[in-house]
Parts: sequence; C-alpha cells; structure tokens
Amino acid sequence: MLRELQLRDFRCFASIAAEFSPGFNFIVGANGQGKTTLLEAACVLLRLQSQRSSSLAPAVRVGQRSFVVSGHVGEHRLQFYYRALRRKVAFDGVEQRDQAEYLRLVRVVSFASHDLELIRGPAEMRRRYLDFIGTQAEARYRPVLRAYERALRSRNALLKSPHPRPRELAAYTEPLVRAGTSLREMRAALVRRLAPFAEASHRAISGGHENLSLEYAPGSEEDFAAQLARTRTEEERLRLTIVGPHRDDLRLQVEAMPAAQFASEGQQRTTALALKLAQAQVFAEDTATPPLLLVDDIFGELDAARRNALLAHLPNESQKLVTATALDWRAGDWGGPVLELTDGEIRRRDK
Amino acid sequence: MKRTEYPVAIRELIAQLRQMPGVGPRSAERIALWIVQARNEQPAGIARAIASTRDTIRPCLQCGFFATADLCEICADDSRARELLCVVEQPTDILPLEKTSAFRGRYHSLGGRISPLDRVAPEDLRIASLVERVEKEAPSEIIFALAADVEGEATTNYLVALLKKYPVTLTRIAHGLPAGGGLESADELTLSRALAGRTRL
Repeated sequence: MLRELQLRDFRCFASIAAEFSPGFNFIVGANGQGKTTLLEAACVLLRLQSQRSSSLAPAVRVGQRSFVVSGHVGEHRLQFYYRALRRKVAFDGVEQRDQAEYLRLVRVVSFASHDLELIRGPAEMRRRYLDFIGTQAEARYRPVLRAYERALRSRNALLKSPHPRPRELAAYTEPLVRAGTSLREMRAALVRRLAPFAEASHRAISGGHENLSLEYAPGSEEDFAAQLARTRTEEERLRLTIVGPHRDDLRLQVEAMPAAQFASEGQQRTTALALKLAQAQVFAEDTATPPLLLVDDIFGELDAARRNALLAHLPNESQKLVTATALDWRAGDWGGPVLELTDGEIRRRDK
Repeated sequence: MKRTEYPVAIRELIAQLRQMPGVGPRSAERIALWIVQARNEQPAGIARAIASTRDTIRPCLQCGFFATADLCEICADDSRARELLCVVEQPTDILPLEKTSAFRGRYHSLGGRISPLDRVAPEDLRIASLVERVEKEAPSEIIFALAADVEGEATTNYLVALLKKYPVTLTRIAHGLPAGGGLESADELTLSRALAGRTRL
C-alpha cells in the first residue's frame, strides 16, 4: 500500500506531500488544482512512467531542471529523481541499477476520462494499453519492446538513406524478427488472459445486456521473416518497415460490431472500463499485492447505475485514489479519507 | 558593483578541465585551485605525462589497441596463436578479455559498431582491415565478442555475412549466467538467453 507521497518540482507543485489510507482515498478540488498531477506522481513513483504521456520531460516544473517523487510503500521508502538524460531510482535509500526488484513492488491501473481513446483512438492507443500492462506483468516485456523499437528505428533509418544497402538492412532484420516474434507472442498471451475478464466485466456493467469481444490483431504473420522478405519492394518504395508488431491492434467488438464505429458513447465508456477492470484482475491474479487503482474524475460521466456497477467491480482489496471536483454524489458505504486540494495545499478529513 | 571573480587564466583552466569526462563545474574548480596552489612539482608532472602520452600512444596498425610502436604488445607477441582472432567493439574491451587469461589468440577492435541511429556506417569502422587480416593471416576461428544488444547483434550479423565466404569458423561468445551465481539471482532475460544458448553435454 502507498502510505505517503511527496513531490518536488513536479508539474504545478514546488513541494507537496500527501498521506493515504487503505481502500478508498478521495482527492477533491476545483479544476486546475493538480488532482490528476497527484495521481500521475503516484504512477511515476511506482512505475517510473506516466500514464498521461510517454515522456517524463513535461512533468518537470516550468523553470526547473529536475523533479523528485518519493514515498513509502509499506515499510519501504522509494525515491525517483528525474532530469533530462539522468534518472535515479532508490529503494530504501540504496540506488538501484536494476529496476526489476523496484518495479515488482506495486502495479498500477489508471482509470481516466481519456480512456475513451482506447476505443475511438488510433491503434497506437491500444498498443500502449497492452504495453503498459505487459511491462508490469512480465519482466521480459520491457527489454524485448525496447529492442524491437531500437531495431525498427535503425532499420527505418537505413531504409530512409539515399541508397539503402541490403547487407546492412539484413543485419538489422534479424534482431527485428527475433524481438518482433517474442513481442507478438507476449501480446497474444496477454490478450488471451485479458479477454475473459474484460468480456465478463462488460456484461456485468451493462446489466447483462451487451457482449464485448476482444481479439488480438497482429501486424505481422506467424513467419515474420518470410513476410519481411516479401514486402521488401514495397518497403523500398515507402522507405519504411511496413509489417510488424508496430502495426498491431486490439480488435474490440460490441454485439459483434466494431466498437469504434458502431457502439454508442455509453457503450464505449463501458468497454473502456471493462478493459481497465480486466487489467486490474490480471494483476490481482499475478501477485499477492493487489494493484493500486488511480481513478481520475470518471464518476461525473457515468449514470448512477454504471457508477455503482463500477464500484462494485473494483477489486475490494485494492487501494484506490479517486479524484473528483465534488463529492455530493458519494453515498452509502464508500468511506475513506477526503483530501481537499486548494492552492497547492492539502487538507485531510478522515471519517 | 562589479562582482569579483577568479582571474581570466584560472577561469580558462576551469573551462578546459570541464571538457574532461566525468568532471563537472565543482570538480573543475577544485582541480584548478589545486593546480594553482600546489607547492610541489606535481601539476607540472601531470602536464608532462599528458603531453608525452599524446606523443607516444597511437592505435596499433593491425588491431587498433593502444600501442607505442606500429604494433601493440599483443600483435608483436609471437607466442600468441595466429589461428584465433577475437573481434571486439572498442580497444578497451580487450583488457577485460586479457584479464581472464583464457584467450591466447589475437584481437581486432572495430572502433565502434554499426548504428544508423548514431550515423555510424560500416565504412566508419575498421572492417576493411579486418577482411584484409582474414585474407592474409587465414585464422581458423573468429570469435565475435560484441555487446549483447541490438547494435552489437546487428554488427555481428553484418560481419558474419561478410566473412562467410572464407574458410574460417565463426563463433559468438555465449550469453548466460554469471559464474558462481545461483539461478534465483539471475534476471529473467539473462536466464531465458542462457536457456536459448544451452550446450550439449
């Protein structure tokens, strides 16, 4: 459990600290007070990446050159120092060269209103969803993904040169095929695990009315090497690697129709929630410690029935950080401390 | 009011020292003050050492290692096996291999690796001289000891394709478990590589 979080020069905050409890924690404040930033800092501390953006550079407060996020998870003290070209990760005061141990501690699931992009947005959004889960679920995922990206960028740089030379291209094709094949296998296995959870959650949140189906749509064939050989002329024309896991997608269908084009806004929101709940369930299945759930201002967009269904489906044992502009909708037994965020200060009310 | 600073000569020295790897503004200032205030001949000795190293050390014409003559100590040593050639990325990679005393052949340092993202092409490396050596010295085995990352692997692939036509055995050093380490202390990637590269008993 994340007991405590401290930020220094992180986005809008020069310095701020917050304490959290198990179960629900509500963070309340007007727009622009930094509620989302608090959740982002929790994600950055625990996962060393942001759920909001792929680069951490914009998280450094304007006019500063570095930020620090730190905190306590159980008895352990974590600290992450970031500046351009330099990152430092410390676990109980000891700098870590290998981050595997550190990253094993807590997994994170983030719910936000822009999750709708998972359904409506380009395939890149769905690949990022899979990668965010994959890097948390399997230690091998991140190095394979990095190797694939590196080989792909190198190969594309060769294809873009005025006279691409076959021998250099071939030298980079081999690592591309190897990392690409592993990545495809890992993503396929991940979707196989997510699908039953997502499909069950969607059915439950929609009151048993709708069926969601999830399918991995790989951007390359089983024999990736042979396919690359076949597409060589096309590659030379477009000066790009045109097949491979960088073209992967996750096919989502509601009632057997593509969700992006045919599902209603409400159905799409349900699907996005179902995907995130499936992520939480996969993590819960993997480890003894339940994942930390970051729920960013999504209750406002849901009707009462879906709101209750969502809360009922959030894993009970998980710690939850929930942001909202107001709490007047909060009813019944979702107790938990309320952290009021105004002008860079936190006031905590326990009840 | 004008703020007093170090005289120009000291500031210039600090600026020069900062160009050295691993020396930041604070260290540069400390080193500069030590040079200025030293009461013995140590700073002059360092200056002489820098100048004479620059004069005497050059890359070995054959393998690229540090040398004081045309050939380095390793290439000039006739007791070393001519049949074995070990290809590395940088001349500094030779020393750790030498420390093992497990290799008594010769080396060839490429001076880098093929990396399109860093704009390093095969022509920028000592590849032509490697081919020349293979033709002239006719080794029986070439061992590739490049880094186990994408660029290291691609460079190895490139060289293997280039040297396939010669009658020479091409091998790559194994990736695997650290000596004396149990399985539980190995990370998953190392372990899966060790599994993939298992050897027959």
